[in-house]
Amino acid sequence: MGILDRLRSLGKSQVESKEKKVVLLGLDGTPYTLLKQFCADGTMPNLAKIVASSSLKQMDVSIPEVSSTSWTCFYTGMNPAQHGIFGFLDLQPNSYKIYFPNSKSVKVPALWDILGNYGKRSVVINVPETYPAKPLNGSLISGFVATDLKKATYPPELLPTLTELKYRLDPDAQKARESKDVFLEDIYDVFEKRRKTILHLFDQEKWSLFIGTITETDRLHHFMWDALVDKNHPYHNGFVDFYRRVDGLIGEVYDRLDSNTTFMMCSDHGFTSIEQQVYLNFWLKDNGYLKFTSDQPKSVEEIAPGSRAFALDPTRIYINLKGKYPQGTVEPGAEYEKLRAEIADGLRAITYQGKPVIKKVFMKEDVFRGPLMEQSPDLIVLSNYGFDMKGSTNKQVLMDREIFTGMHTQDDAHFLINRKDILDKKPHICDIAPTIMKELGVAIPSDVSGTALI
Amino acid sequence: MSQKGFTLWFTGLSGAGKTTLAHIVEAEMRKHNLRVEILDGDVVRTNLSKGLGFSKEDRDTNIRRIGFVCHLLSRNGVAAISAAISPYREIRDEVRKTIGDFVEVYVHCPLEVCAQRDVKGLYAKAMAGEIPSFTGVSDPYEEPLNPEVVVDSSKETPEVSAKKILKKLEELGYLPKTEEVYSEEEEEEVKRRLEELGYF
Repeated sequence: MGILDRLRSLGKSQVESKEKKVVLLGLDGTPYTLLKQFCADGTMPNLAKIVASSSLKQMDVSIPEVSSTSWTCFYTGMNPAQHGIFGFLDLQPNSYKIYFPNSKSVKVPALWDILGNYGKRSVVINVPETYPAKPLNGSLISGFVATDLKKATYPPELLPTLTELKYRLDPDAQKARESKDVFLEDIYDVFEKRRKTILHLFDQEKWSLFIGTITETDRLHHFMWDALVDKNHPYHNGFVDFYRRVDGLIGEVYDRLDSNTTFMMCSDHGFTSIEQQVYLNFWLKDNGYLKFTSDQPKSVEEIAPGSRAFALDPTRIYINLKGKYPQGTVEPGAEYEKLRAEIADGLRAITYQGKPVIKKVFMKEDVFRGPLMEQSPDLIVLSNYGFDMKGSTNKQVLMDREIFTGMHTQDDAHFLINRKDILDKKPHICDIAPTIMKELGVAIPSDVSGTALI
Repeated sequence: MSQKGFTLWFTGLSGAGKTTLAHIVEAEMRKHNLRVEILDGDVVRTNLSKGLGFSKEDRDTNIRRIGFVCHLLSRNGVAAISAAISPYREIRDEVRKTIGDFVEVYVHCPLEVCAQRDVKGLYAKAMAGEIPSFTGVSDPYEEPLNPEVVVDSSKETPEVSAKKILKKLEELGYLPKTEEVYSEEEEEEVKRRLEELGYF
């Protein structure tokens, strides 16, 4: 009996179970280098076992390296000038008025929308920048910055299950300021509920693509990276224990896989220690490019006439162009180019204790490609490790330190796939969506920025 | 989007908060790159209506003049904002008819609250009989019957009132619609959570 006959003799459901599937676990902000360390020192034995027969690669992510932008690159395969998410906040067209980009601001289809066109079902849990939950062929629970579980859940029939599982959208970062013990407890609590939900939906739902994302990692890193670095830190074990739990979940998921299911993992950026926070709007103000209408402006909404440039969090610099902004002062063309070059030179010269703060200043055309070039930042800064760029408008100093001890990195995210035969290149986060599409046998749209890694 | 001119007409007792609201709304409109002009009752009386008194006839003339300028501005694509007591319903309705693109905002505030605020010290003088024909004290104020927006400055903050007005302007197509994914409370929550992670 030939293979086709054998397949025909099987029941329909069994044939379907032979269809290719993909599971991806997302770990928000988990660096490649940290996973290597935890595999080597025995903190993550399940992962170490998987890595032995997989490709674990260091990965580049979007610029700017923030979750909203980077995860949108992940789930569209496109760059910000295509998908439209340049950060956690942006300005409304022809105005200085701030809005918070969300799933409805994303201009291109998500990976799961494309799979849905092929009749493939997806389960998507806690991917940032998917709020409010939009209808899809499958189930979705939105990630950061989701505020209302009801609006974060599709289909609505899933809500009672989530309520029963006591699912929580996010830890309360405010707790980090109260007490590290309370904060850790909260992170563990959210993770435990997320773990249960991931495993429940994994077992109960039908899917071709399953994405479960842990964002508690990022919160832990922001406030307690110092506890990782310093082995004598009172919370060192608390930090490492969290990764033991993550490793437990990785094992629980991996053990459930059949031979037709490809396992992947990724993060949206890496992390490193903060030496100083650096305030771009202060620098612009101090160098005469920016003025505000008050001494303690809450945001760029308080920009004063005559300003030539302003920054939005974390590393986006916009030229106050005539015709683009209500109080635009800079003429497009030669004046614009001269100003961009001048600001880039100035930024490159910033030092802290003799060390250069900025690694690279990109012009928008260096990093973005797509129909939304007009709304892209004009310059984007990539800092050296240790210098965390911020878009605050009310700072009276160029650099200082706050409660945070960890900062994002752009070149040390991770990508894992449980096969050895992948392209010999450093992956980029835009490569993951086309890789999944190829693995699931779906045509990759010609305009994706990324390349399939298999 | 090309700007459609209109007149935003505030009416209410002296001290109700018309000027305050006019300036908040103006600032928000300017963020949308709109051309805006405020005709403030107190300012108008120092130039456009200089010499007019507070008799019914003079008050009507004052409002008609403000309405005339608002009409000119509106038909030339400007958002004209009038912030004058404009106590008489009939004249307000007359101006509404002439302009067409007319949005009336009733800034409600009980007389006793306005008198208590008495920002300009006028209520004290009026109650002492030093100012004849003072609206609400010795001269009538006729509440609008069908204003597009009613705000209550004795119960809500100027920011909340301004949001109501801006929302109505969006509904009426005078301001570009903002995509409302987050409610006001949710937006505060988003801000708080982004702040906690140092993103805002």
